[in-house]
Amino acid sequence: MFSNTLFLASALLTIGGAIAVVYSKNLMHACIYLLASLFGVAGLYACIGADFLAATQLVVYAGGVVILMLFAIMLTGGTGNRVNRFGLEKIPSMGNQKTYFFAGIAAVVSAAVIVKIMIPVLRANPNIAPGANEATVEKIGTLLATDHILAFEISSVLLLGALIGAAVISRPRKEIHD
Amino acid sequence: MSTLNLDVYMPVVILIALAMLVAGGSLFLGSLIRPHNPNKLKETAYECGEEPIGTAWANFNVRFYVIALIFIIFDVESALMFPVAAVFKKFNEIGLGGTLLMSILTFVLVLVAGIVYCWKKGDLDWVKSFQHQTSTPPTFGKKE
Amino acid sequence: MNSTVVSYFAQSNEFQNTVAWFSKALGFDATSLVAFVIFAVFALIIVGAMATVGGLGTYAERKISADLQARIGPNRVGPFGILQFLADGVKMILKEDIVTTNADKFTFNLAPFLCLIGVFATLAVVPYSSGFMLADLNVGIFYLVGMASLVGVGVFLGGYASNSKWSMLGGMRGASQIISYEIPATITIISIVLLAGGLSMKTLINGQGGAPHEWYILHNPFAFIGFFVYFISALAETNRAPFDLPEAESELVSGYHTEYTGMKFGLFALAEYIEVFVVCGVAVALFLGGYKVPFDLGSGAILVEKLGLDSMLAQNIGQLLELGSFFTKTLVLYYVVIWVRWTLPRLRVDQLMTLCWKYLTPIAIFNLLGCAVWMYAFEGKSIFALIMAASAGSGGGH
Repeated sequence: MFSNTLFLASALLTIGGAIAVVYSKNLMHACIYLLASLFGVAGLYACIGADFLAATQLVVYAGGVVILMLFAIMLTGGTGNRVNRFGLEKIPSMGNQKTYFFAGIAAVVSAAVIVKIMIPVLRANPNIAPGANEATVEKIGTLLATDHILAFEISSVLLLGALIGAAVISRPRKEIHD
Repeated sequence: MSTLNLDVYMPVVILIALAMLVAGGSLFLGSLIRPHNPNKLKETAYECGEEPIGTAWANFNVRFYVIALIFIIFDVESALMFPVAAVFKKFNEIGLGGTLLMSILTFVLVLVAGIVYCWKKGDLDWVKSFQHQTSTPPTFGKKE
Repeated sequence: MNSTVVSYFAQSNEFQNTVAWFSKALGFDATSLVAFVIFAVFALIIVGAMATVGGLGTYAERKISADLQARIGPNRVGPFGILQFLADGVKMILKEDIVTTNADKFTFNLAPFLCLIGVFATLAVVPYSSGFMLADLNVGIFYLVGMASLVGVGVFLGGYASNSKWSMLGGMRGASQIISYEIPATITIISIVLLAGGLSMKTLINGQGGAPHEWYILHNPFAFIGFFVYFISALAETNRAPFDLPEAESELVSGYHTEYTGMKFGLFALAEYIEVFVVCGVAVALFLGGYKVPFDLGSGAILVEKLGLDSMLAQNIGQLLELGSFFTKTLVLYYVVIWVRWTLPRLRVDQLMTLCWKYLTPIAIFNLLGCAVWMYAFEGKSIFALIMAASAGSGGGH
């Protein structure tokens, strides 16, 4: 009963937040709806028993990525309501042919990915009950330390690359005074 | 028959609902009993007695964004460290503590290299000046 | 594992009888329903207690600051002025709610809600005592870190929405301060997780004992330094002085809550005071032994042996003792927080960032590596255990 309620609430939050992000005219509001959507995803993770994943989602996404996006929006000054003289939302690349070409390719790729994901879901046996509460943290830790140790270390190198890349990109151009 | 028992998440949902209830309820209660006399002067933003000039949503310095980026990297690193740290004790008991210690050391030292790089290149400084420094930089309050 | 208030009460016979009665009356298995009712009642009790603690925190702050500054503080409303926070609350509800014309209405109204939701959600895992924890999630401490960063989003949105330069600056500084100081705090928490071997609050507390020499703060020198790193980082995360630049009264008028009036400001203040209590509670749970009572009185087993009481009654008495232990330690830390506020001058924003990234983060990483090496080298024994073992070894060698 409660699991149904939790699932319903999380699903509504996710889908509602996502729709609101797409339809919102203000970029800041879109970010806030994204926060709600990410909360919903965390709730969905909790519904299937992935408690560590839900907590990671909260810590990294809701607590980090959303703040990063808010700062980025402030940095680039995209907070005004953009509306042209017809009252339509004015986006710089609206109506450009290149945009529609790439949008078409993106739609085809997304459709292929969705089909690939949905085939095993549709073929699965719907009568399997999910397992009991397990301690996923210990399992993930053991796997990270034994089977996937290379992935663990390479992720640290990846993070190092991201860190240096971010620092280099956001450095102001140095003026040469002599 | 073992099924997933989600009752343990009930307090989280209840508390979030309670927070919205408390906040919304107190504001609603207040709206019934408080005055509402809007006045043009009351509703302008406070700028120490002057008329507010321009909008506050102007661009700001990039150092906030750099700090947020560095924070995200370390946040993901700590999210990855948590499960490994949770099993370290168990690994120690069965004798594999040394190997796991080496893995943890490698992981952390790679990121320490990153933060040392940022430090040396001046990304962690709050006040960045590319002009010739004529005055001494801030010394954390100590006087020479 | 995932134990909760309900599982604590499930040990008693009355609980089983109630569930059976409800199941018969309603026709379906009523365990979830009874669990929901118990959770709701306890959540209400905890929220009420925390709101009172928050309110009394404002009163305590004014009294303690008055004591430090050689004056008296509030003493008119109620005996010794103790009802001052109720008067303040009523005053705030009665104030007019002004939304400035250029403000972003949706975000302006949302920001206090976000702060309060972030803080209330952390109350679910605060370890008041082994039985009265609302929910001992498997990922308890990690979940708490995540919810505390929601407050940062609320601070930033509050500053942004007001469309006032003071608020904007205060909001941005506040958000960057909160996210920066999360890193040393999280890394220190990881070093304690190393020592304890789990993420749930119960595991972290069960690794410690009741007496001070069994606490993690005295386990090894790295954990000792880690306590101070965590305490400073947590102070900075809650925007308390000397880190209160986002709400600096003398510089930014009132920072991110300049334009907030009446109850909305009250919600920000309530969220801040409850967050200070939660942060002190977490510091107590991680470093100062949590709710553990010396001589293991908390489990009630000794009471059953010595006094022959009924098991459930003995356990309840043990729980009360544990509650007392937890609240005593947390309130001592709360006093230290208030004391620090009225003693130290405020840090400049660049000093703040330097302190975090150039001092606390390297020290926290050093502590993490030190704790890991200590765990490996000494098999997780504390300094006192090593000294006892060494003296027993040398004593037996004679």
